[in-house]
Amino acid sequence: MKGSLESGSRLLLLLVVSNLLLCQGVVSTPVCPNGAGNCQVSLRDLFDRAVMVSHYIHNLSSEMFNEFDKRYAQGKGFITMALNSCHTSSLPTPEDKEQAQQTHHEVLMSLILGLLRSWNDPLYHLVTEVRGMKGAPDAILSRAIEIEEENKRLLEGMEMIFGQVLPGAKETEPYPVWSGLPSLQTNDEDARYSAFYNLLHCLRRDSSKIDTYLKLLNCRIIYNNNC
Amino acid sequence: MKENAASRVVFILLLFLNASLLNGQSPPGKPKLIKCRSPGKETFTCWWEPGEDGGLPTNYTLTYHKEGETLIHECPDYITGGPNSCYFSKKHTSIWKMYVITVNAINQMGINSSDPLYVDVTYIVEPEPPANLTLELKHPEDRKPYLWIKWFPPTLTDVKSGWFMIQYEIRLKPETATDWETHFAAKQTQLKIFSLYPGQKYIVQVRCKPDHGYWSEWSPESSIQIPNDFPVKDTTVWIFVAVLSAVICLIMVWAVAFKGYSMVTCILPPVPGPKIKGFDIHLLEKGKSEELLRALESQDFPPTSDCEDLLMEFIEVDDSEDQQLMPRPSKEHMEQGMKPVRLDADSDSGRGSCDSPSLLSEKCDEPQAHPSKFHTPEGPEKLENPETNLTCLQAPQSTNREGKLPYFHANGPKSSTWPFPQPPSLYNPRYSYHNIADMCELALGMAGTTATLLDQTDQHALKPSKTIEAGGEGKAAKQRESEGCSSKPDQDTAWPLPQDKTPLISAKPLEYVEIHKVSQDGVLALFPKQNEKVGASETSKEYSKVSRVTDSNILVLLPDPQVQNLTLLEEPAKKAPPALPNPAEAALAVSPTTPGNCRLQLGWGLGPAGFMHLQ
Repeated sequence: MKGSLESGSRLLLLLVVSNLLLCQGVVSTPVCPNGAGNCQVSLRDLFDRAVMVSHYIHNLSSEMFNEFDKRYAQGKGFITMALNSCHTSSLPTPEDKEQAQQTHHEVLMSLILGLLRSWNDPLYHLVTEVRGMKGAPDAILSRAIEIEEENKRLLEGMEMIFGQVLPGAKETEPYPVWSGLPSLQTNDEDARYSAFYNLLHCLRRDSSKIDTYLKLLNCRIIYNNNC
Repeated sequence: MKENAASRVVFILLLFLNASLLNGQSPPGKPKLIKCRSPGKETFTCWWEPGEDGGLPTNYTLTYHKEGETLIHECPDYITGGPNSCYFSKKHTSIWKMYVITVNAINQMGINSSDPLYVDVTYIVEPEPPANLTLELKHPEDRKPYLWIKWFPPTLTDVKSGWFMIQYEIRLKPETATDWETHFAAKQTQLKIFSLYPGQKYIVQVRCKPDHGYWSEWSPESSIQIPNDFPVKDTTVWIFVAVLSAVICLIMVWAVAFKGYSMVTCILPPVPGPKIKGFDIHLLEKGKSEELLRALESQDFPPTSDCEDLLMEFIEVDDSEDQQLMPRPSKEHMEQGMKPVRLDADSDSGRGSCDSPSLLSEKCDEPQAHPSKFHTPEGPEKLENPETNLTCLQAPQSTNREGKLPYFHANGPKSSTWPFPQPPSLYNPRYSYHNIADMCELALGMAGTTATLLDQTDQHALKPSKTIEAGGEGKAAKQRESEGCSSKPDQDTAWPLPQDKTPLISAKPLEYVEIHKVSQDGVLALFPKQNEKVGASETSKEYSKVSRVTDSNILVLLPDPQVQNLTLLEEPAKKAPPALPNPAEAALAVSPTTPGNCRLQLGWGLGPAGFMHLQ
């Protein structure tokens, strides 16, 4: 009698608890729609999202470069031509950890924004020209399209972060302009492939820069150098 | 002379070469750069593979230049990385810059350089394995015991500042097993393992990977012995599962017990069986398709006796005196199939008679003022007389040639069973549908009987009809139906319902004529309906087609697909229907000499092609 009562009450408790757990709604993190003025998404969430997107973009760029290298650049020695070919090399980006750690986060963020903006145009043309490339594998084209989209998203996020971290600061720095479109459209196949190689090589590098700087900033600002 | 000197020099050089080759001395073989790796994205090391040394002591140098610089540097540290390596310290390491590295092998005989290696430190990151892997068995009081694995990040990686991001992976297995159990640990530096076999010795390893780079090597093995009394199973979970399932079973049993059938029907609704009349499922089960089809055949298709039986109740035929059949200039109407004309069920007492308004009547020679007179035909000649007086119910519109109802004149004195005089309005609101064939059969039969009773000449009159019928196509139609439909005045007897009548039509669908109204003279105004779909409106005009006349002088009517609607004669306001589409039909229908007459015209001996209509 007592045993059954005990087990019955235990069962009831279990049922109630399971019900509570099931009925508990999942609280979703609110994300501000673009353009909302008074929205206060936490900086932590913004950084988390930005780091995720930059990590993803760099992954895609690496895969795209490796795919292109494997298919079109074997034994061609395109790498020699790719030295000093990036249009963003004029930006004064830190080149090692010490330099990066000594750079103020405002500068770092401006650099990130400049890099992102300067890649808008080349990414657009990259998608167009890859589409027109005969026998272009879908792996390259799909990644190019994805990167273009994610780049815009990351730019928006960075602008929001900048607005929160440095409210009122101006960031109207001019960004480097890409002028490599004619070489992408040239008739000489080797020259055209070389131009593509350069562009993908530079994209991989700049996406790595953005990713590294963001992770640095994230640990510095959000976690206080205690990641 | 000169030539001799030159050849001598060549000879001596060759001797030297041969001598050196014989000694094993030669310029060094080409070295090869194997790989460069950076453990923490702050320094990196390159290793090369020396070629043949050519028998002489060979020095290896590594030279490089950076992207965007022209100055060539030499390797700063050949030692730290081990033999045949070059270590680049923090000072010499730049990220996101291409290094062009070359290894040179130098010996007395010459120099040999490797192919240049293009290196970007960003993409050659491979960390050291995690350090200080510790294993510990934990026995918490109110929880299951577990194995607690801990480790530290590898050296040379700056994780705190965020410069280097790491993910870890653990693998373990019992010592005797062959397959590893791998667990991904993301960024955490500890792991709890619960599912362990007691009495086994477990080996554990850990490795790590940067966010973009290569996996490290596995750490050295750590092992731990699980004691024999290590509890494995947790029984409370099973008790919970068992109780829950028991509760569910109880609920289901209760539901079935109380709801029972309704639940079952809710879940599994019964499959409706076929509801075909005459369809015997058992025949289907037996698999005798022939019997099944026969059973289906014998039922309602084609509808024969059932309809006739139903309709027979409503038919009452009185013989009238003034009925005569009008001859018809017979044209063949080889319409397809004879179909009896169907009449609406009347609202009267159910007696069908020639006096009823729903009987199909011929065109009236005279307006309804004429009492029904039964003109005994004096012979075929009489019948052929188009002027034969045939009393018909004639609406005021009878003068209208276009829209006249076919009337089956059946009138008689008031003593007839048909309730005379009755205002036509009694019958107007409803149309009676009668089986014309049956009705005519009745009528004729009755007429026959009455004729025999009253007048032998009736028989005589009947006979010519038969002869005419036998005459075949193309002959002038003689109407005997009126005779049959005529009812004797003194026929008070109710019209016998031919319950046991033989089927008049052999397996052919019957058509029904709509009884429109009964005139004061007891003339049935019929609407022969060709099509049920035609609305039984008052303005509909229809023709019925007489398919044949049976032996017992029963008029079998067909629906004429070309039949037009006829307006009610009783409604003068109604417009005339359009003209007959077929002049041939018109010829049949209209006697040009008697415009105001109702004519009943039949196609004798035309088989199913006969039709009848009025204009």
